[in-house]
Amino acid sequence: MKNDIVKLSWFIVTYIVLTGFALVYLIPFIRSITASFMTWEQASRFPPEFFPNPFTLENYEKLFRLELFPRWILNSALYTGIIVFGNVILTSMAGYAFARLRFPGRDALFSVLLALLMIPGFVTLVPNYIIIYKLGLVDNILGLALLSIADVSSIFLMRQYYASFPSDLFEAARLDGCGPVKAFFYIAFPLGKPAIGAVAVYQFLGAWNAFLGPLVFLRTPENFTLPVGLSFAFQRSMWVEYTPIIAGSVLAAMPTLILFVTLNKYLIRGIVITGGKG
Amino acid sequence: MARVLLKNLTKRFGKVIAVDKINLEIKDGEFLVLLGPSGCGKSTTLRLIAGLERPDEGEIWIGDRMVNEVDPTKRNIAMVFQSYALYPHMSVYGNIEFPLRMQGVPKNERIRKVREVARFLGIEELLDRKPSQLSGGQQQRVALARAIVREPEVFLLDEPLSNLDAKLRVKMRFELKRLLSSELGITTIYVTHDQVEAMTMADRIAVMNRGKIYQVGTPEDIFYKPSNMFVAGFVGSPPMNFVKGIVRKEGNRLSLIHGEVKLSIPLSYEKLVKMGEELVIGFRPQHVEVADHPFKGSIESHIIGVEKLGTENYVHVKCDDLEVVLQAPSEIDFRKKDKIYWQPRENLIYIFNPKNEKALYFKR
Repeated sequence: MKNDIVKLSWFIVTYIVLTGFALVYLIPFIRSITASFMTWEQASRFPPEFFPNPFTLENYEKLFRLELFPRWILNSALYTGIIVFGNVILTSMAGYAFARLRFPGRDALFSVLLALLMIPGFVTLVPNYIIIYKLGLVDNILGLALLSIADVSSIFLMRQYYASFPSDLFEAARLDGCGPVKAFFYIAFPLGKPAIGAVAVYQFLGAWNAFLGPLVFLRTPENFTLPVGLSFAFQRSMWVEYTPIIAGSVLAAMPTLILFVTLNKYLIRGIVITGGKG
Repeated sequence: MARVLLKNLTKRFGKVIAVDKINLEIKDGEFLVLLGPSGCGKSTTLRLIAGLERPDEGEIWIGDRMVNEVDPTKRNIAMVFQSYALYPHMSVYGNIEFPLRMQGVPKNERIRKVREVARFLGIEELLDRKPSQLSGGQQQRVALARAIVREPEVFLLDEPLSNLDAKLRVKMRFELKRLLSSELGITTIYVTHDQVEAMTMADRIAVMNRGKIYQVGTPEDIFYKPSNMFVAGFVGSPPMNFVKGIVRKEGNRLSLIHGEVKLSIPLSYEKLVKMGEELVIGFRPQHVEVADHPFKGSIESHIIGVEKLGTENYVHVKCDDLEVVLQAPSEIDFRKKDKIYWQPRENLIYIFNPKNEKALYFKR
């Protein structure tokens, strides 16, 4: 009896804490959705209000009146597509090489790569800009995508995944007539699908929501990605028109949300493989 | 089919010598078992032959080619791994077909060969399944099919039965031997630490320890004529008993004295041993006369334990500081007994030099 009460109390406490955390994370998003249907006057009130009064679609109308809005979505899709595709191919190959091939300096090279994980993005921003500038790729989606086409944390994730396979499998492939390249395409790549899925989802999220990179490397409005374009479109000389930006952000979050709902098992797999953040 | 020849083959991993200058010839069509305890270098030897490891010294010949520098894919060998190493994302059909695809065999030919091998191994109805949907025995058959379909010159098997349960292992042991030796006649090198597998399957056994081959011979040779104490102790279950003592001659009898224990040695050994010399006598638990009453020349010992295996009993006995295991007749009732009488059969004892641990033999 006493045990049951303790069990029930723990159950209730656990739910209260989890619900509390869920609300902390959810409220800004719910508020964004409701604010996208408010006037700027209501949205900027304090304490914040949650129910649009009056309900308005003006923010969405402003958004769709923007001539460049479809272009920015297309740019974002292109930028994200290149990054996802590049990471899937390059990081799975690199991960396979680090996990399964024997070559001089392999472990040293991998350690150097891992060390790169410790370097914050801001530190490499200027050198990267100089490289891209010298290559003549400033204000070019391709140039911007080049910078993130092989992410170190994805290489790490793929390497851990391939290292978890028994070596017998790759040795059997070798005896069956596979060189390293054939073994990658016939064995490693199909077997790596769960980890590759995780890499694709993480890279999609990162690229679709990227702001700093596109802000620094893209110049002309036609080349902007959606997050930069939205902030550019509603930035007035003295103030920022936030409600259309919020409406744009809600729209921009849709693919991410759909992706999360359909592929969240890959995200979780990514966390399991690396024992932490993918 | 081809013979395999190893000449002074050596492999080191850092300071550890895994394979130490071994010389071995496996004849064309022969079923040779590499037998030894874990870490003795038997799997490394197999991997060297397969080309998965590079030798530090020595030569590997398959047929009339030295293959030291030949890529594993071109050695015309097939290997079955302990874990079977089936490709989990491919169907059984895909697994068996895979080596043929890699060889560039035309599709029609591939289909024909896969079906033929599957029929031969009785796995035709499994072709559409994934490896995860198969039992251990079925997985093993698929691994064999994948190896057979390539029509290799040499078969390498690395403990292929160790993942199966005891009953299936006995069944597959028989099937494998029948298939590889009698039906296909392919040169086979089979690695195991299980002496029963080795004894029942091999044409010849090579017993390995610490990277070296201690003896090569037929199962009968290995069991009845072990060339040293390691082989004598490793092959046979329970292991051979060893008793160290001094040789004495009393009248026209030769004996080995160990404390209060006196063991008779055949007089024919007289030319091979010196009186007063220290020697080791070995005898198998099965080669002992055991009774619950004293008899001529018997040694009285205390029973310290009995293992009942159904058709046979193994008795652990102690006499002075000597502990030995004996096979006892099932008629003896051990419940009320604490003493037993025994004597090794004189014609089935082995004598070893305690310094180099080699067996001393005479013509019987």
